[in-house]
Amino acid sequence: MPHQLRATFARMMELFRRRSQFAADQDDEFDFHIEMEAAENVRRGMSPDDARRAALLRFGGTQRFREETSDARGIAAFDHLARDARFAFRRLRRAPAFTAGVIATLGIGIGAAAGIGTIVYDVLLRDLPYEKPTQLVRVGFVTEGTTTTSDLLTPAEYFHFAKSAPRSFTELGDYGTSDDFSVTGGDAPEYVTVAFLSPNLLTLLGVRPILGELFRTADTSWTENPRIPILISERFWRRRFGADSSVIGRQIEINRGARIVIGILPRSFGFPSPSTDLYYPAPVPIRHPQLGLGYLTAIGRLRDGVTPSAAEAELNALIPSMSGRFPDITRDMLRRSRARATVEPLKAATVAAVHPQLVLLGVLVAIVLLIATTNVVNLFLLRAERASQETAIALSLGASRVALSQRFVVEGVLLGVASTIVALPAAALTLSTKFGFTEREIPRLHEVSFSWQTVALVCGSAIVVGAVVGLIAVGRTDISGVFDRLRASRSASSLAWRRTQNGLVAFQVAIALVLLIAAGLLGRSFWNLLNARIGFEPADALTFHVSLPWDGYTSYGAQAEFHAKLVDRLTALPGVTSAGVAQWFPLANSGAPELVTQLQAPDGRSIVAASGNLASTDYFRAAGIPLRAGRTFRAGDLRGAPAVILSERLAKSLFGATDVVGKQIQGQAFAGMQLRPFTIIGVAGDVPWARIEDGDVPTVYLPLLRDADGLPADSNPIHRNPYEVRYTIRGARLPSAATIQEVVKTLDRRIPAANVRTLGSLVDDATARVRLTMLLIAIAGSAALLLGVIGVYSVVSYAANGRVREFGIRIALGAAPSHVGGMVLGDGLRLVATGAGVGLVAALGATRFLRALLYEVKPTSAAEFSAATALLIAVTVIATFVPARRAARTHPAVVLRGE
Amino acid sequence: MAKPTSNEQVLQGTLDLLILKTLSLAPMHGWGLTHRIEQLSRDALQVGQGSIYPALVRLEQRGWIDTEWRVTENSRRAKYYRLTAAGRRALSQELASWNRFVSAVGLVLAAGS
Repeated sequence: MPHQLRATFARMMELFRRRSQFAADQDDEFDFHIEMEAAENVRRGMSPDDARRAALLRFGGTQRFREETSDARGIAAFDHLARDARFAFRRLRRAPAFTAGVIATLGIGIGAAAGIGTIVYDVLLRDLPYEKPTQLVRVGFVTEGTTTTSDLLTPAEYFHFAKSAPRSFTELGDYGTSDDFSVTGGDAPEYVTVAFLSPNLLTLLGVRPILGELFRTADTSWTENPRIPILISERFWRRRFGADSSVIGRQIEINRGARIVIGILPRSFGFPSPSTDLYYPAPVPIRHPQLGLGYLTAIGRLRDGVTPSAAEAELNALIPSMSGRFPDITRDMLRRSRARATVEPLKAATVAAVHPQLVLLGVLVAIVLLIATTNVVNLFLLRAERASQETAIALSLGASRVALSQRFVVEGVLLGVASTIVALPAAALTLSTKFGFTEREIPRLHEVSFSWQTVALVCGSAIVVGAVVGLIAVGRTDISGVFDRLRASRSASSLAWRRTQNGLVAFQVAIALVLLIAAGLLGRSFWNLLNARIGFEPADALTFHVSLPWDGYTSYGAQAEFHAKLVDRLTALPGVTSAGVAQWFPLANSGAPELVTQLQAPDGRSIVAASGNLASTDYFRAAGIPLRAGRTFRAGDLRGAPAVILSERLAKSLFGATDVVGKQIQGQAFAGMQLRPFTIIGVAGDVPWARIEDGDVPTVYLPLLRDADGLPADSNPIHRNPYEVRYTIRGARLPSAATIQEVVKTLDRRIPAANVRTLGSLVDDATARVRLTMLLIAIAGSAALLLGVIGVYSVVSYAANGRVREFGIRIALGAAPSHVGGMVLGDGLRLVATGAGVGLVAALGATRFLRALLYEVKPTSAAEFSAATALLIAVTVIATFVPARRAARTHPAVVLRGE
Repeated sequence: MAKPTSNEQVLQGTLDLLILKTLSLAPMHGWGLTHRIEQLSRDALQVGQGSIYPALVRLEQRGWIDTEWRVTENSRRAKYYRLTAAGRRALSQELASWNRFVSAVGLVLAAGS
C-alpha cells in the first residue's frame, strides 16, 4: 500500500477514535448530570426511583442533545453521511431496475477504462525495467538516399560508432535476433528465439544473472574457440532443464553447433522480447563492410546531462570518417545514401509503432466512459424529476439544500462503489485477454498485469464518477425550482432543466455519429482487406517451418536433397495433392521485407532491389500463386545462367511490361557481390510480405532443385542456402501436425516441424488488427446510438407530455392532428440535427486518427459519412415518431381535466 | 414584574450570555451551571437542562471556555468548564450589547405612557 493511502487511512481512524472517545466522555457527563439532579430530588424528599425519572424528564432526552452537541462539533457530517448512505441504499433497493442499469453501465464503462488505462500506462508511460532507464537511448542509422525502410545498423555502422567512443555515451551496445535456431539434443527438438548481444549490453542494461555469470566484456577468445558460451533465459531453463542448477557449464546441442551454458537471466529481463530463450555473444568480425540494410539494434547509455539530440549531433559528425575506417564505404556512397544517425529515448523508440493505436484505444474507452456517465446522469435526472414533488415537500418542511444535495452525491457515490462489483471483473478481463493482442503487436505487453494499482484506479474512478454524476444531478435539478414543481406549472427553471437535458442528448447523438462513421470506415477497410487480392489461395492448405542443422547440411546440394525427399514424402500422404517449399511465405513474415537482392535490366539503366525467395517446382501450385506467364522451375534450371521467376510488380519495374519470359537480366544476391546473368523463365502473381495493407513485395524466385542439378557439391550458383524454409501442403484432406512432425522426424530426428498452421489462419491474423478495432468501435457506436435514441425518445416524449393541454387546445380550435404531430416531430428533429451537425464536424477531425488503420478508404469518405448520418437520422426519427403520433391523437377533452 | 407563574424559557440567544456570566464567577460542571443560573434568577429562569450542553460545546469551539476533567467533592469524575481570556472579552461585549438591547426595548415600551 502506498504511504498516502496509509496516511489517509490513519487520519480516518484517528477521526473515528476521537469521535468515539468524545461520545464516551459525553455519556459520562450526561450520567453525572442526571445523578446529581436525582440526588438533589432525593434531598427534596422523592423516592430514588421517582427522583431519577424526574431528573431524566427534566434533562429532556439524552439522544437529542447527543446529536445537537455533535452537530455543534461538526462531527454530524459523518453521522449524516452514514444516514444518507442507509437512506440511499433503501431507495436504490426499491428501484432495482434503475440500480442494476446504472451499476452495469458504470461498471462496464469504468472497468474497460481502467483496464485500457492500465495497458496504456504500462506500455507508453511506465519506466523500462532496466537500470536508470531514462538514460537509455536507441541509436539508429538511416540511409534514405538508397532503398531501405528501417533504421537498423549494419555491423560496420555499429562498429564505427562503438570504436569512435563518442563522448555522449558511457557505453554503446547492440543486438540482433534470429528465429531460425533449434535445440536439437534430446527427444523433443524445438525452435528457440535467439538474441545476439554485444557482451557489454547486459551490464549496460544492468541485468544480473540468477545463476552463473554474464559474458565477460573484454573476453573475445570465444571467437576462436568453437565452444561458444551462451546465456539462457529463466523460462527456457525451467522448461528445458526443470530448473536444474547443474546446467551451468553443460553443453547443449543446437542446430548451429554445440554451446556451453554459462549463466541464466531472470524472467523479468525479457529482453528484447519475453520469448527470447538463448543469448549469444554477438560476432565481431566484419566480412563485408556495408552501408544500409542493417539488422542490428544499437542501444546506448547517455552520460549524465547529455540530451539525445546532442548525442545525435555527435554521431552525425562521426559519419564522414567511416570511409577512412572502411575503404569499401566511399564518401560518395555516404553522400548518396544521405546517411545520418538518429538517437531517441529507448522507451519512446520501443513503443513508437503502437503509440497511435494505444492513444486511439484510450480515446475510445474515454468516450465509452463518457457515454456511460452521460447516460447515468440522464437516468438520475429523470428520477430526480419524478421525485421532484417529494423533494419540494422535504424542502418546504425545512430540509436544508445542502442536505438534499448531499443525498444526491451520496447516492451517486454509493452507485459508483457498487459498480466496482462489475468494474473489477471487467478490468481483470480486459487485462487478462488484452483484447487478443500479443507482444508481437504491442511491445512491452508482457509487463502489463492486473495489479493493486488497477484496483485503486477502478475504486478511485468509481467514487469520482459516482460523485460527479451526483453533483451534475444536483446542479441540474436546480433545487430552488422545485417549488414550481409543487405548483405543477412549467417555469423558467424547468425550462433550464430541459435545456440541459437537450444538450446532453444532442451530445450523445454527436458521439454516436462520430463512432458510427468510424465504425463504417473501419468496416469498409475490413471488407477491402478481406477482398484484397492476397496473391495466394488460402483454402485447403497449410504451412510449417523447418530449419536444418548445420551439421550434415553444409551445402546447397545436401539441403536441397533433404527438401526434395521431404516434399516426396509429404506428397505421398493421403489426401495431399501438392507440396512445395520456399524460403518465406506471404503473411507468415514479420517486420519489413529485406530487399537485399539487386537486379539490373539488360539496358543497364535501372537497378531494382527485390526480396529473393527460393522455390521448389511445386511451390506455386501448393501455395496457389498463379503463374502469369512462362513455367515453373525444373531440372537443369541451375545450369548456365540460372533460371528466375519474377513477380509481376518486379517485372513491371524492371521492364515496364510483364512480357519478359526468355529475357536475361543481371543480378547479385547481396549488394557488393558480383553481378551475374539469369534467365527469366516465368512471371508469378504478386504477394504481400507481412501485412496485406502494406501492398505487394517485389520478389525474385530462384530455383530450389533436387541434388543441385548434379553440380559439384561446393558450387552454389545462386548464393542462397535453403537452411530455413517454409513448407506448403495443399489437399482436400490435410495431415495433422503430429503426422507432419512424424514424417520430418523419420528423415532426421533432430529436426522439428514448427508453426503448423492453415493458410486461412495467416489471413485471419493479418486482418485481426483491423477487425478488432472495427468491432470495438462498432460496439461503442451501437451503444452510443442506442443511448442516443433512448435519450431523444425520452426528452421528446417528456416535452410532449408537458404540452398535452396546449395540444388539446390547438386541436379543439381546429388545428389538424398532423400539424400537432409535426410540431413534436420538429422538436425531435431539431435535437437530432444539432447533434448530427456537431458530430459531423467532430468526425471530420477525428477520423484522421484512424488513418493508420484504414485500407483503401479515405478518412473523409463521403459514402461512409452519409450512410452513418442517414442511419442515425432514420433511427432517431423513428424514436421521435412515437411521441409525435401520441401528440397528434390528443383528445380535446384533456383541456378540461386538470394536470 | 409579576411573579413567575410558569418557568420562563430562556430567551433565544441569551443562554450563551448567562453561561459566560455564571462561569465568570467560578469554574463549574454542567449540572452546577444549570442550578446556579436558576438560583441566581431566583428560579425565574428555567434552563432546559440538556440544552446547556450543545451551547457549551459551541462556546468551547469558539475558544471562549475551556474544559477539564476534575474530581468532585464526593469523589466523582466530572467535566468542569472555565472562562478563558477570550471568553472574558466576549462576555463584556455581550453584556454591552445586551444592555443596549434592553434599554432600546425599554424606550419603545415606555413610549406614550
